Amino acid sequence: MTQLDKLGRGQSATIIGFAKDGPVTRRLMELGLVAGKKVIYMRKAPLRDPIQIKVGDSCITLRKAEASLVLVELTTTAVLN
Amino acid sequence: MSLATEVISSTSSKVITICGVPNSGKTTIFNAITGLNQRVANYPGVTVEKVSGRFSIATSKSDAFTIIDIPGTYSLTPFSPDERIATAALCGLIEGERLSDAIICVVDATNLERGLCFVFQVMQIGRPVVIALNMIDLAKRLGIEIDTEKLSRELGGVPVIPVVGTRGHGLAQLKEAVAESTNADSPPSGGFYDESVEHLLSRLAEAKHNGHKHRAELLKIIFDVEDGFKSNYDSDTHHTLDGVIQHGRKQLIEQHGSLSAAGTATLSRRAAEISEKVATKVKQTQTTLSDKLDKYLLHPVLGPIILFSVMILMFQSIFSWAEPMMSIVDNLFSSLAGLVESVMTSGPLQSLLTDGIIGGVGSVVIFLPQIVILFLFISILEDTGYLSRAAFMVDKMFHWCGLSGKSFIPLLSSYACAIPGIMATRTIEDRKLRLITIMVAPLMTCSARLPVYAIMIAAFIPYHIVLGIFNLQGLVLTALYLLGLIVAIFVSYILKKVMKSEQSSFMMEMPSYKLPTLRSVTVRVVNRSKSFLKRAGTIIAAITIIIWALSYYPRSEEISAQFAEQYSALASEYQNGLSPEEYQSRFEELSNEKAGANLSNSYFGRVGRAIEPVFLPLGWDWKITLAALASFPAREVVIATLGTTYNLGSGVDEQSSSLVSKMRDAKWDHGSKLGLSVFSPAVALSIMVFFALCCQCGATLVTIKQETGKLRYPVFVFVYMTALAYLGALLTYQFFSGVGL
Repeated sequence: MTQLDKLGRGQSATIIGFAKDGPVTRRLMELGLVAGKKVIYMRKAPLRDPIQIKVGDSCITLRKAEASLVLVELTTTAVLN
Repeated sequence: MSLATEVISSTSSKVITICGVPNSGKTTIFNAITGLNQRVANYPGVTVEKVSGRFSIATSKSDAFTIIDIPGTYSLTPFSPDERIATAALCGLIEGERLSDAIICVVDATNLERGLCFVFQVMQIGRPVVIALNMIDLAKRLGIEIDTEKLSRELGGVPVIPVVGTRGHGLAQLKEAVAESTNADSPPSGGFYDESVEHLLSRLAEAKHNGHKHRAELLKIIFDVEDGFKSNYDSDTHHTLDGVIQHGRKQLIEQHGSLSAAGTATLSRRAAEISEKVATKVKQTQTTLSDKLDKYLLHPVLGPIILFSVMILMFQSIFSWAEPMMSIVDNLFSSLAGLVESVMTSGPLQSLLTDGIIGGVGSVVIFLPQIVILFLFISILEDTGYLSRAAFMVDKMFHWCGLSGKSFIPLLSSYACAIPGIMATRTIEDRKLRLITIMVAPLMTCSARLPVYAIMIAAFIPYHIVLGIFNLQGLVLTALYLLGLIVAIFVSYILKKVMKSEQSSFMMEMPSYKLPTLRSVTVRVVNRSKSFLKRAGTIIAAITIIIWALSYYPRSEEISAQFAEQYSALASEYQNGLSPEEYQSRFEELSNEKAGANLSNSYFGRVGRAIEPVFLPLGWDWKITLAALASFPAREVVIATLGTTYNLGSGVDEQSSSLVSKMRDAKWDHGSKLGLSVFSPAVALSIMVFFALCCQCGATLVTIKQETGKLRYPVFVFVYMTALAYLGALLTYQFFSGVGL
């Protein structure tokens, strides 16, 4: 188990839960990040924060501090090209 | 205009609210429905925008609808203070705002899941909901087929109307469906929530004895822990309700792990399920066009280069494309002033019209070309989806000092002019973030400061090569640009601490790339320009009239008599054989001297002399003080005023060599520095630093008032910037005069 912000470019993972509840967690759930969903870590911004991820068909951006609340299980290490 | 306003504010027509998640195309549909018939206001006491418009349907001419556009939000359980207002408005919880008769919920067909999660919540309000399934064309192109009838059935019969907002397709059907729905009673609420939540809802409904709260309100009470539970029930009922809520929350947490898991996560999953059922993907593509474009446009090296090029293009066009149009506006207003001057006899009324109103309004309308071009760019950048990518790339640069990537475009635009920059902050949803951006935007070096810098540098900073390659004049100009930027960073850092704006987040969906349409871009540019012109015609005109009056009155009989004598002496010399050229130039000289004498005798002149001691530590005499005071409507006015005080007339500009030589020759005529030169490099630097930091721009202050809805923000901006300007100029003068400059 790791945190979403710790993934590397192109890695995909399954969401297993959230580190704590609160408005940020609620917003992430509204954006489709719920336990069981697959996420793909797309890229970092040029200055390395925020990050861009893909959940289902949608692209979502969030800062690393926010991503660190999302607990994930790494599934593949396939690198996007 | 006033007629339309009246109709909008009348309560007799039915009220429709349009809502949707950000980037669902909600505003495009709103614009398409209402056209240019819009009115922007703020919700009482807050800076959240309330845009309303009107529409009617073809089949019944009598029925006009008022439609209200609320800011995009992902849910009814608010995340930011802004969302709190938007959701309260939607739920009918704002005093004086009634619950709407129907709600249009805009859903992006290419992202059904996200939209549905919000639809579920909107359905809990208990008002009829109509779904506008937007961008249906784009969905088809991506190979997504949506069974709208099936979707409607899944939602318990909520009408689903496929539309293409950017092209206006399906809007007639949408309007019909909305009109129809306002007659419906007991709209479906769906049953999307978990049984445990439903159980708690019915317990809450039982526990309250009176007063009706709809399901959405009760759900907010359960899940919005941060807002706390407030009610206007008697204390017994309140206590009972509070007990039920606390107990209910505990049970939900036990059962689901967390409150969010019980509420939001359930909805999110139901949304995914329904979306799966009704939408079929014909083509299974792993990477979309947006993914492919992102690979280049968000590339660690290529991305910033492209962004930089786009910004350069935008910046260049604001400066250079606007230039010819600005001189057209300028010429238009000066020929208008000339026309008035030629048909009217000279006197207070003529001066009021030409110098006051035409000159004042003209000095603001001149920014219209820049505003049009900037909003053309911003609309295109936003509609294509690039704006959110630009914010993504630069966010880190702004985040640490209290701003965010979204402040980037407004602040960059402020380098041309703070007015469009401040207007551009409307793309920032977070209220505190938007306020901080607005308050530092006037510190960016706008184009109105350039004339001031140009003349002072040309007159008092020597052309001198430093370190072999740098020209001292260019270095000073660069330093002034940097000064504004550094102070802005410093101020926003302080404001972030003071306003406790720690919650600014960057969680959002990146819209997929789209081609902008002429229609939606035009509507936005026209609306912005209209609201700007309206302001120029009203409040700004009023300010310029006041400033004009202060520098025109009182008129001294003595000065008039004295100059009348000199005029007649000149006239008799002319009759005695003075050449016409000589006469003409002597006549102008005399007129300029008269204008100078009148100005120094005016209220402003008196104030300037009276407060000279205040500005003495800055190295300024009363003429500079007067010019700085009179430049309140716009910074560049300082040059015209200096021209008048030095008896050169107000026609001087930054290239005026006569003004330069007059300033170089100016000597103190009183006080301890009697006989010494007024101007020195230290004084010039002190003036420039003052103008770099001050907010001598009435139009900016009026814009801040309009955009924030409160007087205290422009007052604060004016006070803090003037204080910084004074302090900066003081330090500059004391330092440079100390080292002998």
